[in-house]
Amino acid sequence: MPEPKRMENEGDTARPLGWMVGMLAVVGLIVSLGTAPLSGLLGESRYALEGALHGVSAGLFMVTATIGLFQGYRLLAGNIQRVAQLEFGAAVNAFLAFLTILFGNRIYIFYQAKGAPRTYFLENMPEIHKIFFEFKEFMALFTLPLAVTAAYLFWVYRDQILRSRPLRTVSAILLALTFFYFLVAFVLGAAITKLRSI
Amino acid sequence: MMTTPEKPTGIAAASLFAAALSLLTLAASHLLAGYSEAAKTWVHAWGKAWMPGAQGIGPYSGKETLMLVVWIGSWILLHRWLKKREVNLTLAGILFLAAIGVATTLLWPPVTEAVLHLVKPSP
Repeated sequence: MPEPKRMENEGDTARPLGWMVGMLAVVGLIVSLGTAPLSGLLGESRYALEGALHGVSAGLFMVTATIGLFQGYRLLAGNIQRVAQLEFGAAVNAFLAFLTILFGNRIYIFYQAKGAPRTYFLENMPEIHKIFFEFKEFMALFTLPLAVTAAYLFWVYRDQILRSRPLRTVSAILLALTFFYFLVAFVLGAAITKLRSI
Repeated sequence: MMTTPEKPTGIAAASLFAAALSLLTLAASHLLAGYSEAAKTWVHAWGKAWMPGAQGIGPYSGKETLMLVVWIGSWILLHRWLKKREVNLTLAGILFLAAIGVATTLLWPPVTEAVLHLVKPSP
């Protein structure tokens, strides 16, 4: 049986798929903007938009951080042929870390406002604020230098990473730590939102 | 065929050390803000100097700012110092992990309170 012909450039096959997903997203957005009660989806809070943006960026970051963890494992296992395969994903990971923190900063103002969740927690469950929220806000900040440093190493060293065991290990550890710290912040954030949202 | 020369590991070490210093600064500024009202005001002033909404965010804005300043500043300096040097990346990685461990521990609220209890002058 003849061997199937290998694609010369994986990017050529991925491009039409990317276009299709992009077009579906645009069509979906146009249809939903014109017909769906989006304000109901966001909620009635004054801070609903900021909260939604924080949630969306955190949700996307969870996806890219998880992919990053898997790619770190592949890197350590020697299953990555070209670091260029990781560069874009690592950059997106770092950008989403930045966006999540940025929107998180905005809703932090609302969290602390008079009559907002902070007051509620301090009056009813002070430990929730003192331990979980304070810790969560700092753990979220850890993700930025970790994700940026990982992306920077891929960008600077490229395929040299594949030839150097220490560089490979350090890069994989950075991706794993980004995932770990984000997971802590994400889980605590979700739990706090469940108890009292802004 | 031309081959690209290998880049020194000092570049990677500089980025790792800068990230570690930024996280240690975050922990230190959090402790500092808890030490006294004057220190908290000083930390908050860093955030109020540039960050939109810093008044509402509180001293957290100053802690973020100090972390960013130390991260970028130390990265520039360390990069200039180490960019042409070969650095033992295994050792750098161990130091990096140790620093992150220390920063995380210091930021765990029961530990923060215990440290502040030890260093704060009794009223």
